[in-house]
Amino acid sequence: MSDSDVNSCASGPRVVIIDYKLGNVRSVANALEAVGATVEISSNPDTLKNAEALILPGVGAFEDGMNNLRTLGLVELLNELVLVQKKPILGICLGMQLMAKTGFENGIHTGLGWLDAEVVRFDFTGEISHLKVPHVGWNDVRFVKESPLSGELNAPHSYYFVHSYYMRCADTTDVAGVCEYGHEFTVALQRDNICGVQFHPEKSQKHGLALMKSFLTEAHQLVEAVC
Amino acid sequence: MLKKRLIPCLFLKNGFLVRSEKFEYHQLLGNAIHQVERFNAWEVDELIYIDITSDDVYDIRRDDLKVKSEDNILTILEAVSKTCFMPLTFGGRIRSIQDIHDRVSRGADKVTVNTQAILDPGFITEASKIFGSQAIIVSIDVKSTKQEEYEVFYNHGKTATGLHPVEWAREAEKRGAGEIFLNSIDRDGSAEGYDIELVRQVSDAVRIPVIACGGVGQFKHFSQGIVDGNADAVAAGNIFHFTELSTKRARKELIKSGVDVRN
Amino acid sequence: MAIRYCTRCVYPSSSAVPLQFDENGVCSGCRVAAQKHKIDWDQRAEWLKELADEYRVRDGSNYDCIIPVSGGKDSWFQTYYVKEVLGLNPLLVTYNGNNYLEVGLRNLKRMREVFGVDHIFFTPSPQTLIKLNRLCLKKMGDMNWHAHCGIFTYPVQVAVQYKIPLIVWGEHGFLDLGGMFSLSDMIEMTAKFRLEHAQRGFDWFDMLDDKNPGMEEGLQPNELLWARYPSDEELEDAEIRGIYLGNFVNWDANKQTDLIVEKYGFEVSPEPFDRTYRRMSNLDDMHENGMHDYLKFIKFGYGRASDHVCKDIRSGKLTREEGIELVRQYDHVKSRDLLRWLEYVNMSEDEFDRIADTFRDPRVWEKNEDGEWVKENIWGGKSAYPVPKLTGSNIDWSHLQKQPIPG
Repeated sequence: MSDSDVNSCASGPRVVIIDYKLGNVRSVANALEAVGATVEISSNPDTLKNAEALILPGVGAFEDGMNNLRTLGLVELLNELVLVQKKPILGICLGMQLMAKTGFENGIHTGLGWLDAEVVRFDFTGEISHLKVPHVGWNDVRFVKESPLSGELNAPHSYYFVHSYYMRCADTTDVAGVCEYGHEFTVALQRDNICGVQFHPEKSQKHGLALMKSFLTEAHQLVEAVC
Repeated sequence: MLKKRLIPCLFLKNGFLVRSEKFEYHQLLGNAIHQVERFNAWEVDELIYIDITSDDVYDIRRDDLKVKSEDNILTILEAVSKTCFMPLTFGGRIRSIQDIHDRVSRGADKVTVNTQAILDPGFITEASKIFGSQAIIVSIDVKSTKQEEYEVFYNHGKTATGLHPVEWAREAEKRGAGEIFLNSIDRDGSAEGYDIELVRQVSDAVRIPVIACGGVGQFKHFSQGIVDGNADAVAAGNIFHFTELSTKRARKELIKSGVDVRN
Repeated sequence: MAIRYCTRCVYPSSSAVPLQFDENGVCSGCRVAAQKHKIDWDQRAEWLKELADEYRVRDGSNYDCIIPVSGGKDSWFQTYYVKEVLGLNPLLVTYNGNNYLEVGLRNLKRMREVFGVDHIFFTPSPQTLIKLNRLCLKKMGDMNWHAHCGIFTYPVQVAVQYKIPLIVWGEHGFLDLGGMFSLSDMIEMTAKFRLEHAQRGFDWFDMLDDKNPGMEEGLQPNELLWARYPSDEELEDAEIRGIYLGNFVNWDANKQTDLIVEKYGFEVSPEPFDRTYRRMSNLDDMHENGMHDYLKFIKFGYGRASDHVCKDIRSGKLTREEGIELVRQYDHVKSRDLLRWLEYVNMSEDEFDRIADTFRDPRVWEKNEDGEWVKENIWGGKSAYPVPKLTGSNIDWSHLQKQPIPG
């Protein structure tokens, strides 16, 4: 057990927000700090390695997201930390979408491929063609399985969304939460140490903060189990 | 399903919170921070801040207050975003990509652009490419002209464009705007309710969300904006400052009218 | 930056109440006052009757409303209106800041006889008040902070406790003086107003030692129970609503005073005040027109006489020229109640002056070569305002009620 592991047992969870130049990292950091985490924003390999949990934020286009990750040399690093070392990671909005195999925003793009999923645009036709895109505002999320995101499976809460593309999971066991806009679609996922939310918990007040806290608590317990 | 949004709009002039009437007259209400604390406590859906400072300088410092007034909008934004865990839009005086970047990096999720979009519509496209269209709201201020026609104005409602709001809203949408913030200059501060005809025309004309603003004097006006005006979100400035737990009361009214909002 | 003055009344731009000036130099206070003529007050009276009916407790199991009262002219008018005009059964609630003039205390005690109402009269411990007086002078240049807090907090606590939703306040001070809102807004009392404007952003926990290094007075949380505003949950559960009678009645302090004097025997001050020409205002707190207001002069360069003049100009009782004369006569006066206050809290005049000086607004004040404080005057030109010393002079202040001094 290294010195840094000893430190983490004593204080709040050490979280690193992956800085790949896309996204509202400041808001995410403010929210994490509000729930007691010690936060760093970085793309430095050592910093990421020492994190108890990682956050992959993101606001913007799929292609830009993947390009930035590649340019910063983060793809291999994250594959190692997440798939091999099983570090807990929470993807938010675009961050969650990048975990898919393929994204169809302005072309066909390869994602991180951690989940068997694809990212497609809302396409409302017929009776629901009046629905506006992007999906902006508060909507109810129904958690369908227990995960670090859901706390207990009680009444649905609303969270804040703003996106034009959504994720379709081929493996339904990955789906942790759904929402309805025109049709039901996946808005939360969990597969082993990998979690993702389409909505913005850092913008969803009380329940959003509770979700982040819940995710961090689980991550922290994993570390504590080692201490 | 997606809820309709209820959004308090705070107008700031030289950093001071103001009550607005017909875009011309502003009464000083106090410090931006105290009101945010209340909105946080009441768990509102979103907050929109518009900086309507023109070039008047005025001096509102007092030394004996706990929260000192700031006249720098970016400092205020930083202070607000630290405790604001809901979507935050910051608008007003945005002239360049750098201006947008200055706000987004300090915690704004969205910005509104008004005058600059009219002077250079390509700015909308440029901004939405860099920050994503969901971050770019085009703000449209409308007056009724003598011929009873709607016309878009800019520069704090002083300069006419000759454009109809529907025409301009469609153009903004085409250029990449994520939302439209629609403001009626005539109704501003009047307490007569939204200009429903205006709201409806624009809401029905575009496929991006439209936020209605201007004229709310009673909570039932919000329901009218949604049900009769087809707006996706309803905003107001003055009314939320007038009563205790005002946003909660507004929400109750909306729920009573059958509108799907957060409760 | 120079100070500008309203072209209609006498308010300066350094005003304690935030002001806005229009293109003719007329301030927002005058503008809102001018709205009064255009309001349909009969309709407003109707609305108030309807509202009163909504809150009337028909089975007599509770009071219909609360009226926060100080015993002053506004309190009497509010009680008269609620009881006689609306026919409601109010509970009167008073926060006593321990600064009553004898005449003010008499007026207060008589209210229950005159109107036949129940009256709760709450006094915090004078020891606590003395600490707050001292601390708040140093902290924000206002020894009367406790009163601004108590007046807006204690009645609301009582409302929640007794489950009486309706609270009838008088005028909204900042609307009336400075035009912060419009009369069409029908504003109601809010926690934000209390905290930000009445209390300058400070609340009870800001009075504890940890927030006041170098100024500790040893205040404990359990001495400040009366200063805790109810939570949002409590306000919501009790459905508390604080309305301002000033939104429903064409408020005229002079006319209203005449009414309560003639009909009910309200007493005005037998002695003139040092710092203002009015005799019916602020009988409940000798420092409100006195030292508290002298500090306003030190900070912002104007005083209560200016406030009264503005009100009287707006109601047509005075011309601007007459008003300016009164400002000249009264605004700068260092009033005798200082001597009572110094004895009450055990502070020297020198220390008081030294603390007061730290709050002088640099936009208003500068020093001349003789080291005297100088400012511009509304009647033109600049004057020096050397600080007089009251201690040791032969001023008679026996008419001020001597509050029992502990220790």
